[in-house]
Amino acid sequence: MTNEQNPPGGRPGGALPPEAPQPVRGPAPADAPKEISGRQRLLAGLWPPRVSRAQLIVALLLFVLGLGLAIQVRSNSDNSALRGARQEDLVRILDELDNRTQRLEDEKQRLDDQRTELENSSDQAEEARKQTLEKERQLGILAGTVAAHGPGITLTIDDPTGAVEADMLLDTVQELRAAGAEAIEVNGVRVVANTYFSGDGGDIGVDGRRIKAPYEFEVIGKPQDLEPALNIPGGVVQTLEKEQATAGVTRSEDIVVDALRPAKEPDYARSSTQ
Amino acid sequence: MIAVLGLVVGVVVGLLVRPEVPAVVEPYLPIAVVAALDAVFGGLRAMLDGIFVDKVFVVSFLSNVVVAALIVFLGDKLGVGAQLSTGVVVVLGIRIFSNAAAIRRHVFRA
Repeated sequence: MTNEQNPPGGRPGGALPPEAPQPVRGPAPADAPKEISGRQRLLAGLWPPRVSRAQLIVALLLFVLGLGLAIQVRSNSDNSALRGARQEDLVRILDELDNRTQRLEDEKQRLDDQRTELENSSDQAEEARKQTLEKERQLGILAGTVAAHGPGITLTIDDPTGAVEADMLLDTVQELRAAGAEAIEVNGVRVVANTYFSGDGGDIGVDGRRIKAPYEFEVIGKPQDLEPALNIPGGVVQTLEKEQATAGVTRSEDIVVDALRPAKEPDYARSSTQ
Repeated sequence: MIAVLGLVVGVVVGLLVRPEVPAVVEPYLPIAVVAALDAVFGGLRAMLDGIFVDKVFVVSFLSNVVVAALIVFLGDKLGVGAQLSTGVVVVLGIRIFSNAAAIRRHVFRA
């Protein structure tokens, strides 16, 4: 294409060469006129502005050029590089975006799964924790580390003569346990698995603590079972009464056993579960 | 002088008005601009040589733009648009440089 154009040489136009006023741009400031040189022509065209047909036409074309230049520069520096990108580039970019979207979707899916998993497992952990707490409470009642309340009986043994021995109280506790007592307290001392009774009549110790008559047993359990168990012929009550002691049993809907004992960490025994 | 004013006004208007270029024309605008620049440099050189003819300038300007756009269009159709427009830009660039050299010799005598 380039060959046919004639902007550079302007050869063909030979027609009216002297008509030279048309300036186009004026880069050069200097002036040193001696003969009719290009520089003079340039200055001559630049300064006294003359309105001629050629000037106007050239001005129009240059206006168009400036416009296109500005638009192009603008749209290039403008926002995206997508403007003016050609089709195959756009397709490639679109493909890349699709791939990226796909990857991100995958990642999102993966993270969602992970989150669900974590939520589930934390649910399970919560459930396990709850069960453990529940178990701890139950075991705490047995071990005497937590207070308990519920239906049961109160057994009061009065011993004015000091005839009640430690083994009688132990028998009483055994009888109560056999009848299903779940929590027992004697004169403010919690009775647990390793509780022991010591001493002689009128001077009895429970787990090393001295207690005095009357002996009051707070027992949580099924009253309908506990009371007959004490009252059976030859049972606790009869035995005590033989010794000049009096025993009274009162049922109650809400017995409170709030004497506590500290949990003891075993020195040697270790849990064998895992 | 008026021609220079035309160029300046064109640039200013293009920057201020921000006209929307139709999508059809868009791919050809950069090449067209380069082709027009080539024509302008050629015209400037012709003027310095004293052989400037406005009719020639107009025709060369327009045909430059049209042919450049045509080549890009054809290249796009043939699937070698990018290479072809690179080629056009190279050729036009060479011509601009040689014209600029001639102008420089006129203006600076060097």
